[in-house]
Parts: sequence; structure tokens; C-alpha cells
Amino acid sequence: MNCQLCQKELDAYREGKLPGDMMTQVESHLRACETCSGIYRLQVLADKVIDQEIEIESDPFLATRIMAGIDNLKGSGYEPANVFIRVLKPVLGTALMVAAIFFGIMLGNLSQPVTDRERIPVELALIDDAAIESVNIFSND
Amino acid sequence: MTDSEIIKLILKGDKEKFRMLVEQYQQMVFRTCMGFLHNKDDADDLTQEVFIQAYQSLSRFKGEAAFSTWLYRIAVNASLNKVRKSSKNLILQRIDAIFGTEKTKELPFLPSDMKNPESILIRQEHVEWIRRALESLPENQRTAIVLSKYDDLSQKEIAEIMNTTEGAVEALLQRAKKNLREKLSAHGKNK
Repeated sequence: MNCQLCQKELDAYREGKLPGDMMTQVESHLRACETCSGIYRLQVLADKVIDQEIEIESDPFLATRIMAGIDNLKGSGYEPANVFIRVLKPVLGTALMVAAIFFGIMLGNLSQPVTDRERIPVELALIDDAAIESVNIFSND
Repeated sequence: MTDSEIIKLILKGDKEKFRMLVEQYQQMVFRTCMGFLHNKDDADDLTQEVFIQAYQSLSRFKGEAAFSTWLYRIAVNASLNKVRKSSKNLILQRIDAIFGTEKTKELPFLPSDMKNPESILIRQEHVEWIRRALESLPENQRTAIVLSKYDDLSQKEIAEIMNTTEGAVEALLQRAKKNLREKLSAHGKNK
């Protein structure tokens, strides 16, 4: 067995997935070849590094830390009040703004002077005292 | 009580029920974070961030996939973001290392059979090198290898988390293993 083939089979060898005769060939090559045995040791070490990292336990107070973090969130929780704040508040704000603009326009129209007297029907014009009687008749002139 | 029942209660305002989900999945999330960060304190902090992010997004969880799959996705994305940010600071860290201002990382991997200080140093150097080899893998290969080795997930589960096919995951794992083998071989030959 050459080094290239041995190194290719090292993963399967470590996992014990090689057929019997191949296992023996890899084993005997590893005993004879220092380069391949060095690589093999490094791969075993890599597995150990991962295994040791897997065994590390998280902080025992992590759950408490997380819950405290959630409590500190602004507007935390999924209470109905939050639904109101998140959805209804902007909708209500927009509706109020539209209403304010509408009433503004209405008020603006009301304060405009009536300039089209000609359009007042004759019947109504008769009731309109100001149109019939001139204030000039009360003056001495 | 199932995950979806707990989630319904949380969404109705029972915030305290979220603790049940945290306690059930904290080690799983922590392991994933550890696979990317290789540092306990960083992994603890990131696990906390992942759960807070999950809580904030809980109303968007549709229940199409399992809660654990959804949580894995958040953990993987958060870890990759953290790693990206860290690699941006790598140049500064290297400058610190050159001028000797960076504290030497404490390695918790000192086996009892290694009494010789020289052997310990060599081993620590190897361990650090192995971590760098894992970190140097492309993001998708790294994600696949972390989920496979650290979380011991099947290719089907990894495919669901990564939103890809089982065949693609198999190919990613093979490429990742090949890349790692080549890096370790190059390192082994130099030693």
C-alpha cells in the first residue's frame, strides 16, 4: 500500500468501516510509514478536540440569563396590549391624521367669503334683506 | 406538553413558558455555537442571543418544520454572522499577537497522560491548528460538518436545516472531510 491510498482510507479506518484485509494493510502501512502515522495521529487528535468540545456543558445559569434578557426587552411578551401597540396604534394614528386633514379642509372652506351672489335663487334673494335694502337710505345724503 | 402547545401559550402571553423551551434546547444550541466558535464564554453569550432572537421571532414560527430545526437555523445563522464579524477583527488580533498584547488563549485540553511541558505545548499547537483548519472551511461545508460532528445529526436533518437536498449534504460532507484531510496532511508533513 502506498501513502496516497493509505491517507485516502484513513477516515474509513478510524471509523472502522474498512473490510478486514484493508484494515490490516492500513495498519501495517501506518506502522512502517512515519508521515502517514503522523497524519493519522493528527486526525485522531482532531476527533478528540471535537469530542472534548461536545462534552463541555453550557452555563448552568444560562436559562435564568436568557429569561432575564427577555424581561429586559422593550415591550417583551405577546400580550394583547402589544398587539394593540404594534398593529392598531399605527392604524389609528393614520386614521386620525386623515380625519384631521379632512376637517381642516372643511373648516377652510367654511371661512371663505360668499362672492357668488348671482347664484342665489330669486326667491331666496327676496329674503336676503341686505341685498334689497341699501344702508345708504338711512344716511342723510 | 409539546413544543407547539408551549409556543401557543407563549404567544397568548405566558412568557414564563419560554423557559421550558430554553431548558430543553439550550445544550443543543450551545453545542452548535461551540462548533463554530470553539470558546465556551463566546458560545454561552451566543446561545443567549439565539434564544432572545427566537423569542422575538416566535410569532413568525409557522410550525411547518420542527421547532428544533427552526432553532438550529437561527443558531447557524447567528454563529456564521459572529464568525464573519470575528474574521474582520482578525487583522487587529494578529497585530496584537505580533506586539504581544494579546493574552494567550487558555486551552482546556490538557490530558492527564501529558506530563512533559514540551509535549503539552506541541499538543496545544496542534489543537489550535485543528481549530483553524475547521475555521478555514467554506461556510456551507463548515455548517454541514458542525451539524454532523457536533450535533450528530443525520444527513436528512442537516438537509432540512440547510434547506437543501440530502445528496447535496453528502457532497458537502465529503468535500469538507477531504479539505480537512488535506490540511491535516500538509500540517502533518511539515511537522
